[in-house]
Amino acid sequence: MYNWLLSKVKGDTVIWTIVVLLSVGGLLAVYSSTGSLAFKQQGGNTEFYLLKQLVFILLGFGFMWLCHLLDYRYYSRLSQLFLYLSYPLLLYTLLFGVEINDARRWIAIPGTGLTFQTSDLAKLALIMYVARFLSKRQENIKDFKGAFLPILISVSVICVLIAPANLSTALVIFSTCLLLMFIGRIPIKYILAVVAAGVVTFALAASLVFNMPDEKLENIARLRTWKARIENFMADNPETGGGNFQNVQAKIAIAGGGLTGKGPGNSTQRNFLPSPYADFIFAIILEEYGLMGGVALIFLYLLLLFRSIRIVIKSPKAFGALLAVGLSFSLVIQAFINMGVAVNIFPVTGLALPLVSMGGTSTIFTSLAFGIILSVSRTIEQEGGEVNESEVAHA
Amino acid sequence: MNVKRDILWRVYVAFFAVALFGVMVVVYAVRIQFVEGEHWRKMAEELTTDYQTIEAVRGNIYAADGSLLATSVPIYELRMDFKAGGLSDEVFNVEVDSLAYHFAQMFKDKSQADYLREFKEARKKGSRYHLLKRKLSFSQVKEMRTWPILRRGQHKGGLIILEKDRRQKPFQLLAFRTIGYSQEGVAPVGLEGAYNTELAGVSGKRLMQKVAGGVWIPVNADNEIEPENGKDVYTTIDVNLQDVAENALYETLVKHDALNGCAILMEVETGHIKAIANLARKSEGVYGEEYNFAVGESEEPGSTIKLASLIALLEEGISLEDSVDVELGQTKFFDRTMKDSEPGHYQMLSLQQAFEKSSNVGISKLVYKQFKEQPQKFIDYFSQMGLDKPLNLQITGEGKPRIKNPKDNDWYGTTLPWMSIGYETQFTPLKILTLYNAIANQGRMVKPILVTEVRQTGKLVHKYETEDIAKSVCSKETLKKVRQALEGVVQNGTARNLKNDNYRIAGKTGTTQMARGGKYTKSFYKSSFAGYFPADNPKYACIVSINGASKGIYYGSAVAGPVFLEIANKVYASSLHMHKDISETAHTPEIATPRNFSGKLKDIRDVMNRLNIAHKVGEANEEIEWTTTARMERNMRLEQRKIIQNLVPNVSGMSLQDALFLLENRGLKVVVSGKGNVYRQSMNPGTAVYKGATIVIELR
Repeated sequence: MYNWLLSKVKGDTVIWTIVVLLSVGGLLAVYSSTGSLAFKQQGGNTEFYLLKQLVFILLGFGFMWLCHLLDYRYYSRLSQLFLYLSYPLLLYTLLFGVEINDARRWIAIPGTGLTFQTSDLAKLALIMYVARFLSKRQENIKDFKGAFLPILISVSVICVLIAPANLSTALVIFSTCLLLMFIGRIPIKYILAVVAAGVVTFALAASLVFNMPDEKLENIARLRTWKARIENFMADNPETGGGNFQNVQAKIAIAGGGLTGKGPGNSTQRNFLPSPYADFIFAIILEEYGLMGGVALIFLYLLLLFRSIRIVIKSPKAFGALLAVGLSFSLVIQAFINMGVAVNIFPVTGLALPLVSMGGTSTIFTSLAFGIILSVSRTIEQEGGEVNESEVAHA
Repeated sequence: MNVKRDILWRVYVAFFAVALFGVMVVVYAVRIQFVEGEHWRKMAEELTTDYQTIEAVRGNIYAADGSLLATSVPIYELRMDFKAGGLSDEVFNVEVDSLAYHFAQMFKDKSQADYLREFKEARKKGSRYHLLKRKLSFSQVKEMRTWPILRRGQHKGGLIILEKDRRQKPFQLLAFRTIGYSQEGVAPVGLEGAYNTELAGVSGKRLMQKVAGGVWIPVNADNEIEPENGKDVYTTIDVNLQDVAENALYETLVKHDALNGCAILMEVETGHIKAIANLARKSEGVYGEEYNFAVGESEEPGSTIKLASLIALLEEGISLEDSVDVELGQTKFFDRTMKDSEPGHYQMLSLQQAFEKSSNVGISKLVYKQFKEQPQKFIDYFSQMGLDKPLNLQITGEGKPRIKNPKDNDWYGTTLPWMSIGYETQFTPLKILTLYNAIANQGRMVKPILVTEVRQTGKLVHKYETEDIAKSVCSKETLKKVRQALEGVVQNGTARNLKNDNYRIAGKTGTTQMARGGKYTKSFYKSSFAGYFPADNPKYACIVSINGASKGIYYGSAVAGPVFLEIANKVYASSLHMHKDISETAHTPEIATPRNFSGKLKDIRDVMNRLNIAHKVGEANEEIEWTTTARMERNMRLEQRKIIQNLVPNVSGMSLQDALFLLENRGLKVVVSGKGNVYRQSMNPGTAVYKGATIVIELR
């Protein structure tokens, strides 16, 4: 069975293992943390969400397997297609999307009754596109107008379209793209300039928002939510011992876990934590599996990054290297920010823990990203070892 | 610098930056767990929730006529959260005086000042689960919810209402043991036990939160999973007959200072058990239902089993007229002496006479003669009559029948003769009754039924039909003779005291020496009578069995017979279909209705037809749906009550059900007061309906 599986999957087996471990861990955590949701919405059928997530994971594995069979060079062209598709979709979402929890991030797929989060598609497309663009312009990468400006514009347009409904995702995508530019040899001074400009703009906007009374913020996108979240984060509520309700509950969960945790399924905080199966799933993992479980999870994500660096070393072409490394970084950064929210480094963002959190779109697109990384790894393995430097330069 | 190396060092930098961030996450987690850990864990203890079970309301047990044998009555407990988030000082201080006044007025157990002190103290202490009152009825709670502060509900008034169920048996002792009970950790008893799954329903869940002081309060106003209420069980028990059976048995037990006894009444055709009484002495002259003897106690039946022996003999071709030498009531089988209860009277008896006079010698000698070579054949007759198997009743704890087999180690030469007169075998009284019922039912043996239906809020879930145990326990010819012999017992035999002018009883007495501590003693007897009535067209079969009558009288006819007769008389008196047609001397009574009333034409006609009240429809119009009655000299006239859509209908004289149907269908909110039929309504009939307007109707 194991050998048969090995014969069917190609590419880095370590990455495959990471994917399986994350999925299984995620299923356990989801099963445990959806108890109160199941009581509220499914009449106590606690297996409902486990099965639902399992279906998505299996579907994701299917996509992953298909993606990894495709030669990664096709993704260069596809990235363009997806990116162009993303613009109208994001615009549509912003104007006519389905509103869940006061945020318009979803569109309904006609005829299926399913909804999907367009920013997940845009994010995948953008990272792929940035990898394509950077690899194509390697020869004149230091050119401001020829390289830096066009890519900055593409990234900014996507992020601006995502930002009103999902500021945190937009910020994370933007930062990831900047990191990718840095790796893709865009001059550091340009990147620093963008960061500086960003910080100044943000500070200005923030001071404006925070000095405006709530009533006037009413109709402007999600300004009130953001303000509230940041205020909550900053607040030092003496009664709860610091932080807002969610953070306090998350901290109680984490503290309860100790070194080895309470054991699978023994979380008590899942009844208090809002959406313990998504934003705060890391807190539940720390509660049930303890610090050791948390460290193991962080190790898995870092191992993924490390294996993608190996792809960079082996990759004959810059596109492959940048594609693999770009997608890996985007996944891992998202994961760490999700964890950062749980341990209260960041305010609440709404980012999922890739492959671990419950969620259909997130699971599927994460699987696609893994599929593409594995495609690069598979192509390199099959075309063989080290390639001389000049080829990279000309890629 | 070449491109790849340039990219690589940048990737490494990025990797370390991200890894550093990963380390930071761990550091934060460690800080929360170990530096601040104590603080958070302490907080966790205060904030614990749990899904707690809410018991479903247990289903009812009904008698055959629909009266309640067992039901769950909700009782309430009122508590108050004096620190409720929405309960401001302002509201509390203004209204608390008045709240105390209401409490003092309703309960009259403490003064207003005492209540005021109690509430103020609870408020000061911040008591979150303060007990206001226990064991409140629904109507009390309904009223209390209108009181100051409490009327603001859970969040603003701190009101917490807890509902509990208390099982009540409206007829108390009646059929107590058969209705039974179900308690955790105790073997289920009676119908409550046997139908526990159906009655119990499915419990729901409620998210409860532990607040300061270790008390639990509900997190949300609604339950997370609503409990599914239990199903109702409809029994065959007839409350009136049960009452008669129980009283007759009770008086007899007291009269004879007996140890215990039971009486069962069964409907011949269906096997429905109409009454089942079990009484045991608790103390001198006081009896109570403690054990279901009728169903649970398998004992040597005594002479009532001679019915089975008689059937076996007749089936073998022996005639009722065949004679037997009863040797003046005493004979010997091997070394054991067999005696009649009153020896010394007879020498030669026919089989019928031996049966009627319950001659042990007569019956046992005939059986022994017929079957001594092949005792298995005698046992086979018992099996053919279905006596060897338990009844598999709808309630648990049935005593198993025991019939010895010639192959058994304890089968002796004396077993056959003694078995033929009711010793060395064991049956429950109900098992014996089933055999008598079969004879009454043209030979068809049906299984006794206690439960006819299980319903969920009135909807039929399961129906129990009459089941056959044996299509025929004997041949047609034998049946005729057996019935003749059973009638003979009452006409000429041991049960002549049951003879009466109105109807005939057929049956058999039983007077059995009981083994106590392994020995048969002269002082301990089972007195029984099993039979059916009316003998010519049997409707009911009945058995009465009394153990340990201790006032010197112990004959079945003298102890059990009168109980049988009293039950039979009551059944006869209340069953018109059993009576012979009385000549048409009785004239139709003067029409008398208590008053005029209104409702659906069809319903009212049904009632009048049933009560034989002469009536005619006003305009002879069949299209009338609603009607109101008018008393005329010789009959009742049913006049049309016009009901027009969109106008307030005239509901006076109607039942609440009809009035609610009409008014609520027109979108009116109905407030009801009083009991009876509608006497007054607050909106004039014929005025236009405003949807959502409130109409008050007064019943009287």
